[in-house]
Amino acid sequence: MVQRLKSIASFLMVTALIGGLATETWAQAKTRIRYALGDVISIDELPLLIAVEHAKQRGVDVQVTSFKSEEVATQAVINGQADIGQGTPYAAIQKVTVPIRFFYQLSALQFFPIVAKDNYKSWKDLDGQEIAVHTRGSGTEAIMNLAAKEHGIKYKSVSYVPGSQVRALALLKGNIKATILDAPNKNLVMKEAPDKFIILPLGNVKASDEALFATRDFLDKNQVAIRIFVEELTKVSRAVNANPSWILEERRKLGLLKDLPPKMEQEILPFFQEAVKSGVFPNDGGGERAAKNDLEFYSLSGALKGENLKVDDFWYLAPLKAALANVK
Amino acid sequence: MQRKELIAKRRLVWQLISFALVFGLWELAGRWPISLAFPPFSKTFLALLRMTADGSLAKAYLSTAQPLVIGIVLCGIAGIGFGIGMGLSRTIEWFSLPVFIILQAAPMAAIIPLITYIYGIGLTSKVLAVVFLAAPVIVMNSYKGIRNTNPSLIQMCRSFLGTRRQEIIKIILPHAAALIFAGLRLGLAMGFIGIVIAELLITPTGIGDLITYHSSVADYPEMFAAIASIIAVAAFAIHGLQRLEHKLFPPEIRGSS
Repeated sequence: MVQRLKSIASFLMVTALIGGLATETWAQAKTRIRYALGDVISIDELPLLIAVEHAKQRGVDVQVTSFKSEEVATQAVINGQADIGQGTPYAAIQKVTVPIRFFYQLSALQFFPIVAKDNYKSWKDLDGQEIAVHTRGSGTEAIMNLAAKEHGIKYKSVSYVPGSQVRALALLKGNIKATILDAPNKNLVMKEAPDKFIILPLGNVKASDEALFATRDFLDKNQVAIRIFVEELTKVSRAVNANPSWILEERRKLGLLKDLPPKMEQEILPFFQEAVKSGVFPNDGGGERAAKNDLEFYSLSGALKGENLKVDDFWYLAPLKAALANVK
Repeated sequence: MQRKELIAKRRLVWQLISFALVFGLWELAGRWPISLAFPPFSKTFLALLRMTADGSLAKAYLSTAQPLVIGIVLCGIAGIGFGIGMGLSRTIEWFSLPVFIILQAAPMAAIIPLITYIYGIGLTSKVLAVVFLAAPVIVMNSYKGIRNTNPSLIQMCRSFLGTRRQEIIKIILPHAAALIFAGLRLGLAMGFIGIVIAELLITPTGIGDLITYHSSVADYPEMFAAIASIIAVAAFAIHGLQRLEHKLFPPEIRGSS
């Protein structure tokens, strides 16, 4: 009798397991995710591209489309032409009536205030001077304003020069004397003219640079696929954090960004080593901690309006919790 | 007289109806909505009032007007001069015509960002963007105005033993004036396109900054108000020039040119 009960229990367990797997496989096979990226695909997108390939192997087909800007990518999600968007459109989420929520922090902000050595040596020297940032209300402007507040200085004026690459070239040509750049362009400037520029020290800014968002409806209807995708993103972040050179092996193995010029190929490892050192890629997908930091930071930047902002109005944490429960 | 007044009144009514129709359709499209980021006309109009009241619109136009005016004045003086030169001299025509034909056909939105590689991101680049768009139209119109002078008028001048100088001043230039002026009007229209592209693609200043900023913080009514206002300003400016053109040049000159 006991033997028989054991057999029935085993049979039921195997059936449940197969059933569960079959359901997941079915759900995955049916799922196609349209991913809107508001940027050109480059080396900093490698973790995403690797996670996309891994998710594909598990049956979730994530199709990445590159858009001209974050705003266009956000519009694509708002209008239902894309399922997941990448960026930090907190203002749009606050103002648009469709419930769109963030659910994963891909990377934290990593920017470097950089100045011409002949003109400035420290933050104090920037008092009453002109600086250049990305756009009005952008994260770069918020970082520079926070630093000004911290050091008790006031800029004469702020010019808006979109694109780190454009600002880096303007800096090298001497058109601007003080600005803020992302890591690849900061490296470019320091490589081209190492004696001409200095990087000013910056306090710890923890806000999101790139986070994933989707409509609440899409997140609810595609729980399995989202869980698998978030699991893969988390695994990639953890692997990069444990060993930045893992990204090189994985890129080779999966044949990603094959057309990259050799000069840029050499920049991959230093870029990820620096990013890992600065804690850019979270091991836990950001979650509530990232959400709270973002609400504070984007309120200071002017993107978010109002007080007592609630995490639940901007983030939906359930998909991340479900994924983290599966990632050891 | 009464009939004239009646016609004018009728015209005004039809004009008002057409405005009401367009704004009504806009309101409906915004309320339907065709996109969640597309605001109805009423919200856009209120945003326009807010931006006018807080001075941000006036400040933006002051900034946008600077490169636009410099660019158009440059084109007005040098462009018309060049066009006249091309019309009068085969050598200048041989050297310059291909350049302006290429400039007319070139996709400027792709070329404008390249200006920054040489001239940086300041005022010069924006003035150049206006010049690149406006100059070909102004130059080509002036050139065609000169070239299309009625040959019998020139022959008449010559048969009266008129000098070349008299031929140019008394026959060719007055004859080409209407087309040159029309070129200036079309050049201004292109100049508006040039300055908005420059402010969106080079550095966001003036009206381009209002569009970029309000788009980035998802203030869609403000964004649409900025776009609608620049369209209205451009339309009024060009309409004003057209009326001036009608006043300055009689229909027979406009028609023949």
